[in-house]
Amino acid sequence: MIRKSGWLVFITFFTALLALVYLLAGPAIRLGMVYSLEKAVGAEVNINSVSLKLAPLALQVEGLQITDAANPSHNSFSFNQATAALELWPALLGYYVVNELTVDGLQYGAQRRQPGEVYRTPGADGEKIDIADVLQVDLPNADELIARANLQTPEKAEALKQLALSEQQQLKGLKDKLPGKDTLEQYQADIKALTDSKITNAADLAAKAQQLQQLKDKLNAEKQRVLEAKQQLTQSKDSLQQAVAELKAASEADYAKVQQLANLSDGGLAGISQILLGDVWGQRIAQLQSLYLLAKPYLPDELPQQSTEPGEPDVVLPNRILPLPSQPYPDFWIKQARVNWLIGGGEATIAMQDITAQHALINSATKFSLDVKQLPQLAAFNLQGDFAILQQMVTNLSWQLEGLNLQPLTLGKDDTALSITDGLISSSGKLNLTDNQISQQASVLLKAANFSSSGNKYLQQLATLLDNQAQIPLNIAATGLVSAPEVSIRSSLDKVIGDALLGEAKQKVAQYQNELKAKLDAQLQQGLAGQQDWASLLTEQDSDISNISDSIENMLNAKLADVKDQAKDKLKDKLLDKLGKKDNQP
Amino acid sequence: MLPLLAKVLKVLNSEASPWQIGWAIALGLFVGILPFGLLTLLIVLLVCLLTINLTTFILVWGLTEGLMLLFAYPLEQLTWQYAQNDTLLTWLAETETLQLLHLHHTLTLGAFVLGALLLVPVAWLSKVLVQQYRYRIMTNVEKWKLTQMLKASKLFALYEKLN
Repeated sequence: MIRKSGWLVFITFFTALLALVYLLAGPAIRLGMVYSLEKAVGAEVNINSVSLKLAPLALQVEGLQITDAANPSHNSFSFNQATAALELWPALLGYYVVNELTVDGLQYGAQRRQPGEVYRTPGADGEKIDIADVLQVDLPNADELIARANLQTPEKAEALKQLALSEQQQLKGLKDKLPGKDTLEQYQADIKALTDSKITNAADLAAKAQQLQQLKDKLNAEKQRVLEAKQQLTQSKDSLQQAVAELKAASEADYAKVQQLANLSDGGLAGISQILLGDVWGQRIAQLQSLYLLAKPYLPDELPQQSTEPGEPDVVLPNRILPLPSQPYPDFWIKQARVNWLIGGGEATIAMQDITAQHALINSATKFSLDVKQLPQLAAFNLQGDFAILQQMVTNLSWQLEGLNLQPLTLGKDDTALSITDGLISSSGKLNLTDNQISQQASVLLKAANFSSSGNKYLQQLATLLDNQAQIPLNIAATGLVSAPEVSIRSSLDKVIGDALLGEAKQKVAQYQNELKAKLDAQLQQGLAGQQDWASLLTEQDSDISNISDSIENMLNAKLADVKDQAKDKLKDKLLDKLGKKDNQP
Repeated sequence: MLPLLAKVLKVLNSEASPWQIGWAIALGLFVGILPFGLLTLLIVLLVCLLTINLTTFILVWGLTEGLMLLFAYPLEQLTWQYAQNDTLLTWLAETETLQLLHLHHTLTLGAFVLGALLLVPVAWLSKVLVQQYRYRIMTNVEKWKLTQMLKASKLFALYEKLN
């Protein structure tokens, strides 16, 4: 049953296999990489060669270029050479632990020798801004703005209306429960009849006292109902007053909000910089979404035992590793990486440590830093950051950039194009990305910038005005969902531009402000419309209840006192009679 | 296609025992289901060391690899679903040998379990089928006119040549 030549056959097979792997692994990996990258980016991907080295085990990729689908004559990303040295034992266990990864000649937006093919045209182009639209000062009308601002006034007004309605219903019900005028007169008549009647003997007294007690009990019950009604009335008054106060406060807050939204409080126009750059920055920020999507399968809530949200496609990793309770290594782990980045006309090196998606296993966050000085087109650039996926994905990033020479840039096209021919950019800021929520603050300073425009008179005026500025400061903040961040860009220049260039728009702005105020006031008045009705109803009810309460109190006190006096008088008469009889006796 | 058919017929009509062919089919299926790795090499070593029919083994391996292009994804999904068991995961995490065999990889684990379950039944069934073929069909086939015609054909010449 044992094959004598078995070992020989196996060794031959194994050697042939190794030779095959050594010869074919490179081309096979190259084909696989090109296929999957092209599928992902929708544009031509070129890789010169991929080779596998056996000792030490390393993979080397030469000349990778990814065509920018939006601009096929340029690459979105490229590098000259990348080498990853794998650790053998973890690789045998199925974990990719890379001791050192080096990437040389990394570039963003480098020009290609010949345009690459585009397989999938990207969506809206983030760079195109129609300046003409901006200069038309096409502000949203009051209705649109109110609808967009998520205002509280209508909601509070509706709440007040509902509250007033329900309180009115309750008060009407309350009135039915209270003793009417007739009832009270009846009580009064009964008590009067009882107290005015003569008490003939003790039995009569006891009977009348009992009758009086019954009346008293009834009156007490009525009194209790009156008290409850009073209490309810006070509550109604309080809650309605609170609702009115809330409505007024909401109206004021909403007006402030709308003013802020339209930037009317500064007397200027809505931030030009916001309109000009808000979308561009928002789209740049939204690119960080890809980082979140990459990390998403590793976030704890994506474990298969928990239900995924309906509609979301299932994330599938081929031949994935089972979630072992204690893995010896992360699925992939790059201990050290050195990326040689071509920036600012020179080279900068980004150093990274511990790149993985399972930071809990190595008990350390991914760190990256870049520090360069005195490059031909960049005075200084410092970038620090860390990234960790634990219970949440948290990325922190801070940067400081000094004196970056601006490449010529054109915003818009044809007669609405505004070109920046040169300038120096300085920027500092920080960014925090927690799962898909972003919070970012940045200040950008554009110095000695030259603008030009061959477009319409507004653009030429704008270019001249911008040229006259020694520096243009911008404060940029982005918050909210990374895929659709709320970007706020403020610049002290906004008011200057608004005043100088868009004077004719000011009239429109003032008119707009009035219209807005009138709209909000109308909403407030509408909300308070019922207030007078129920206020008078409350006052009326209040005085009615007070009258009833006083009258019951009088009846209870006064009549009870009379009965006692009468009883006392009768006792006194009896005693006097008895004493008189005794005195007459000899 | 003709050489492949010739090879199959050659093996079936050869002196190889039904068990040798049966185990070759079962192990070929096993190794074909598994993603290539250390387990594959171990099975190949076993096949090399034992007098298992190599031609059948290689043929079945190749065919199964082709079939796995269709069935790998559902098998992986199924394994991912059923492998979420604390005891199993702890055992896999604590035993480095199992990780060396890549049994902590979803597809490898699923393929190993499926292959191990099918191994003996497939070997036995294949053995029975080969026996039945040889006993009931082979002798009759020899007498068929079609066979006589085939013997005069190119296929038979090739068969003879391989012999």
